Amino acid sequence: MRALIFAVRSLVRQPGRTALGIIGIAAVGALLFDMLLLSRGLVVSFRDLLDSVGFDVRVTATDSPLPGGIRLTDATGAAAQIARLPGVAEAVPMRTATGEVWQTGRPVIGLMLTGMDPGARRPWTLITGADLGPSLAPPDLVVNQSLMDEVGGALGSEVTLRTGCDSSRAALAPRTFRIVGIAQFPFDDEAQRTAVMTRTALREACGDDKDEADMLMVASSGGAGAAVAAIRAARPDLVPVTNEQIVARMQTQGFTYFRQISAVLSTITLLFGFLLITVLLTVSVNQRLAEIAALRALGFSRGRAAADVLLQGAMLVGAGGILALPLGFALSLWLDQILKAMPGIPASMHFFVFEPRALVLHAALLVTTALLASAYPMWLVARLPIATTLRNEVVG
Amino acid sequence: MEPLIEARSLGKVFPMGGGPVHALRDISVQIAAGEYLTIRGPSGCGKSTLLHILGCVDTPSSGTLRFDGRDVSALPDHARSDLRLRSIGFVFQRFFLLPMLTAAENVDVPQAEAGVSRADRKRRTAELLDYVGLGHRAGHRPSQLSGGEAQRVAIARALANRPRLLLADEPTGELDRANGEHIAELLDRVQADGTTVVVVTHDAALAERAGRRLVMRDGLIEREEHAR
Ligand SMILES: Nc1ncnc2c1ncn2[C@@H]1O[C@H](COP(=O)(O)OP(=O)(O)O)[C@@H](O)[C@H]1O
Ligand SMILES: [Mg+2]
Repeated sequence: MRALIFAVRSLVRQPGRTALGIIGIAAVGALLFDMLLLSRGLVVSFRDLLDSVGFDVRVTATDSPLPGGIRLTDATGAAAQIARLPGVAEAVPMRTATGEVWQTGRPVIGLMLTGMDPGARRPWTLITGADLGPSLAPPDLVVNQSLMDEVGGALGSEVTLRTGCDSSRAALAPRTFRIVGIAQFPFDDEAQRTAVMTRTALREACGDDKDEADMLMVASSGGAGAAVAAIRAARPDLVPVTNEQIVARMQTQGFTYFRQISAVLSTITLLFGFLLITVLLTVSVNQRLAEIAALRALGFSRGRAAADVLLQGAMLVGAGGILALPLGFALSLWLDQILKAMPGIPASMHFFVFEPRALVLHAALLVTTALLASAYPMWLVARLPIATTLRNEVVG
Repeated sequence: MEPLIEARSLGKVFPMGGGPVHALRDISVQIAAGEYLTIRGPSGCGKSTLLHILGCVDTPSSGTLRFDGRDVSALPDHARSDLRLRSIGFVFQRFFLLPMLTAAENVDVPQAEAGVSRADRKRRTAELLDYVGLGHRAGHRPSQLSGGEAQRVAIARALANRPRLLLADEPTGELDRANGEHIAELLDRVQADGTTVVVVTHDAALAERAGRRLVMRDGLIEREEHAR
């Protein structure tokens, strides 16, 4: 009789207890798995989002990775110079602003505006209609679905838009634009209203004479690192950062809450799993003391008797841990939806993201738990006094 | 000829809260290979304790024990486990068969533990179950067997690795007369087939069957009787 079959039979013999153990570990394991998906989910998802845009380097005038810092001037020239560097495929200036749609008799609609010329890559994905063209009479506007819904008109209709370019500058007069297309913007959340126009159109709307941009979006041709080095050498006054660097910065500054929450909850979860298995195995061992003593008398070594307990623990945790994966995955989808309902979260971003390393960690943590949880009942079995136990069984 | 078992001045003390209990005081006994020995005496006189020490399940507090010429009184645990596995068979009052295994699987367990090949185990198990008259019950679980049948399976299990020594502690203690008689006959046969048998029992009829009988009292051998 192989040790495995032996342990399986021992477990099957106590179906209720075994089911309790497996279900308990499945629940604990599902939570653990979710915590692992959560611990890096936002970071991974943010990196995917940055990568999906197609540009892997961002160049700004200051050390701030996101819009809002000091702007680049002579952006067209800088973009052209960088685009010519070896290892750079494309460099496109981008300018952001705010806007308000004015419609007679209706409330003003606020929106986020981007000024960027569509090149080989663009951060938005056209759904219907046309992309931005060079026309300036009136200039083209590509909007997202929620802005389109709000404005109400059809593609090709004109809207009056007042742009807000700088808090320092006076309010500008509203201008007319034509909505030519509907697109998806990767960083949009469910409620956000977004529009993009050409940089020339935005420059004109802002009355901007310095050819400003918030950043240059750069696509490398031979790796972001090489492109960054080339840009640094050519333009020491500018600050190029890779997506990886942005993510790394996020990881140390922005998204640590989830890592911490996940670490605390995982620990508590594992503690419960540990207690559950320890209790179940200990109860089972205590019920079988006489039987174990008899096996020892028949020649089972200490190690063999203890290994049987370990094997049972491992099988409970193994079965529960495997069951935990689909359970945890389903749970993570549900939790992700709940968290994503928070305002300001880009629709394509996720809190729970699967990575192979989560699976490895899940397995490693559960194996450790199984080992620790089996330790006490194994010790009970190993130091079991055979003669006294056999005698107690008959006398008691 | 050298005895299979040679115990010299065995003593066993259990340190207890109310003072030490001297379960064995000074026991010396030699048991020849192939002998049939029974031990009886009033409850608490130390029979089980002696049997456990002879079976290397427990260690004496004093004295020495030689098994087949080898000093086993101070062997480490794993060596004693191995000795029990290969050379000693145990039969308990309450059988202690594994309830989740069939009769055949129960007999298989010690053989598998000793590393016997699957084919050899299968053959040996069938042979043993036939030997105890339960070949037709091989696939039954202990819960489906009567007490007498369960004890016969337990004897088959104890014999699985062809031990030199079979030890039984009150093997008929849980059985009615007819079943007890059946077990007694089986033990006779085991001894006749060459295994050394030591049985602890209250049952005078069972004790009388042995060629040599020890009567214990208070941790000492009070007298020894021989069949004529
Ligand atoms: N593990 C033990 N701990 C304490 N006392 C024990 C233990 N085993 C046996 N004894 C004591 O040793 C004496 C002999 O016990 P035992 O060998 O079981 O007697 P018997 O089998 O003859 O009834 C008894 O007084 C008993 O209480
Ligand atoms: Mg006794």
